[in-house]
Amino acid sequence: MTDLIKLRGVNKYYGTYHALRDIDLTIRAGEFFSLLGPSGCGKTTLLRVIAGFEGVSAGTVMISDRDMANVPPNQRPTNMVFQSYAIFPHLTVAENVAFGLRKRSDIAKSARAGLVEEALEMVGLGGYGKRAAHALSGGQRQRVALARALILKPKVLLLDEPLSALDKKMREHMQVELIRLQRHVGITFILVTHDQEEALVMSDRIAVMFAGEIGQMDDPETLYRRPKSRRVAEFIGKMNFLPGQVVALSGTDAKADVATGAGQAPGTVPPNRTNRLLTDLMDKIAPGTDTTEDTETPADTAPAPELMTVEIAGLGTAQISVDQAPEGAKLGDAAVGIRPETLAILFEGESPKRHECPGVVDEVVYYGDMTYYDVRIKDVPQPLTIAMKNLIGRPVLEVGATCRVAWDDRALVLF
Amino acid sequence: MNAGTALTQDQSRAIRLLGVPFVYAVLLLAVPLGAIVLFSFWTQDFMAVDTTFTLDNYREIADSPIYAMLLQRSLMVSGIVTAVTVVLAYPVAYFISFHVAPSKKSLWLFLITIPFWTSYLIRVFLWKVILGYNGVINSGLIQVGLIEEPLTFILYNVNAVIITLAHAFAPFAILPIFVVLEKIDRSLLEASQDLGESRLSTFFRVTLPLSMPGVVGAVLIVFIPTVGDYVTPELMGGAGGKLIANMIQTQFLQLNNAPLGAALAIVAMLCVTAIALVFVFLNRRWLRGRR
Repeated sequence: MTDLIKLRGVNKYYGTYHALRDIDLTIRAGEFFSLLGPSGCGKTTLLRVIAGFEGVSAGTVMISDRDMANVPPNQRPTNMVFQSYAIFPHLTVAENVAFGLRKRSDIAKSARAGLVEEALEMVGLGGYGKRAAHALSGGQRQRVALARALILKPKVLLLDEPLSALDKKMREHMQVELIRLQRHVGITFILVTHDQEEALVMSDRIAVMFAGEIGQMDDPETLYRRPKSRRVAEFIGKMNFLPGQVVALSGTDAKADVATGAGQAPGTVPPNRTNRLLTDLMDKIAPGTDTTEDTETPADTAPAPELMTVEIAGLGTAQISVDQAPEGAKLGDAAVGIRPETLAILFEGESPKRHECPGVVDEVVYYGDMTYYDVRIKDVPQPLTIAMKNLIGRPVLEVGATCRVAWDDRALVLF
Repeated sequence: MNAGTALTQDQSRAIRLLGVPFVYAVLLLAVPLGAIVLFSFWTQDFMAVDTTFTLDNYREIADSPIYAMLLQRSLMVSGIVTAVTVVLAYPVAYFISFHVAPSKKSLWLFLITIPFWTSYLIRVFLWKVILGYNGVINSGLIQVGLIEEPLTFILYNVNAVIITLAHAFAPFAILPIFVVLEKIDRSLLEASQDLGESRLSTFFRVTLPLSMPGVVGAVLIVFIPTVGDYVTPELMGGAGGKLIANMIQTQFLQLNNAPLGAALAIVAMLCVTAIALVFVFLNRRWLRGRR
């Protein structure tokens, strides 16, 4: 896959405010790339830099190996879907979609009407051409904005929080539809969003931004499983943090049976897995599979990774592989992160696990498909949040109930 | 009106709120207007007014070419004033809306109203000082050596009337245009550029069409009152710059022929109404695509 967009050392100042700090970013052709971050992190600014609406204070923006320094937005091979959709209210739907064709001498005038109808059909608005733009609903406006941009066949489609104005059902529907559309047209999509779920569902790769910097850039799975910093872990999904201590480095106690299911090292996952199953991802983000229940994760073909031994407050000793820890991890204090869905409460009759400890239910939040428990464990400073699927026959525990909590070395992330 | 039935709460509130303005409007607008209409069907019989219903006044207006000529000139002057004012006001409104920092916008609007702090008459006289035979412009140009003889086409003719009126009505044109420009979603302009249009073509394809309601509003606000203005042509127009309003004034005050003056006023009003309706219709077309 070729590199389409290259940002090198991009900085942006607004007066003294440093909006973008040394952004280095490479986006490949055909990729669905997301810029994810809390509001004010600079993700929209970065998108506008790529679109050409904002200049850079330092650094270069290259699209298709061409320096974009003095190229205005109307001459860039990018098109944008604005957060407000920016549908021209004085034009009809068809006129909106055809807006950008006027300057395209490469598209014959006679072919334009057909292209417009084709674009409208692609977004599911066939036959809407004659309608006044102001009479459309939010979802329809968004489709018009998509058709208007895609009809120009840009190299890059920029989407600025396109789903934030829609209600939950519509949003989920449009997420799937956008992925389908992206695969269909094969255009590089860059999505700006503050919604981690949206980014995980839709993207091939995600750059998580904080305060003008990229905190981590990875595919959704790596990002979720192996966040490189606490703030990334906190921003994406939920995570319990426990105080811990690294007591031994590099395979002092290389028990192969514990080490088999080590997570992939960052970068080993092919970034554009066009055939991945959506449902699989959905499961992962909508607090998902209980990995402690099905421990048969496919064995890694990688050579037996080096191990570290970590003492975790209240839980005991764990053996983790080095790719569960930051590079250059040292002996001594460290924070240990565990996702709620990788912890499990053992119900009666379930066989004992290698790691388990007694706890008391402190809080119960029932979501229908899931129940979130806060469980107090002796010597653990804060109650651990545990997500359990409400399987058939599985009771919902009450506050104050005692229970057994099981955990797995492979689910730990060291910070 | 459901006289006799008990009033609902809304109705009684409407009466309380609208009662006073309604009486005021009836006394000061409807009654005089009715009187003018009535007068236009009467005739002046030397000192007394003959109250027999007749169309004589309208017949006279139709027969004497002077009235048609004056009316035509009035509409033309108003048209030019409107065009000049709106064309000059648009860039000002555009500048304030697009290039003035949001915190400074109200200051700019405030500055634009400064000319209103002095009486209109004083402003007209100031224009005389500027445009006059020995005025600022002429003496300035002579000093610089651009001209040898003072220019005479800038005072006491229709040009002077146009210049003065265009200046006087500028704020009335700037404000409605400014308001619609403010309401234009800036992302629409970015979208247009994103779709390949330059800044200039974006203006013609997006900004201008979306600001048309304000332009039409400005046209109406300038055009309607300038047709009826008689002070400016009286002071600035000289002998050849008299307009229909001056004729109406002359009929009422100097020739003591109120019925004919009233008929002239009605005819002028109908012309303005007809033209205004065209613009209102145009505006509705432009408003088509908006909520």
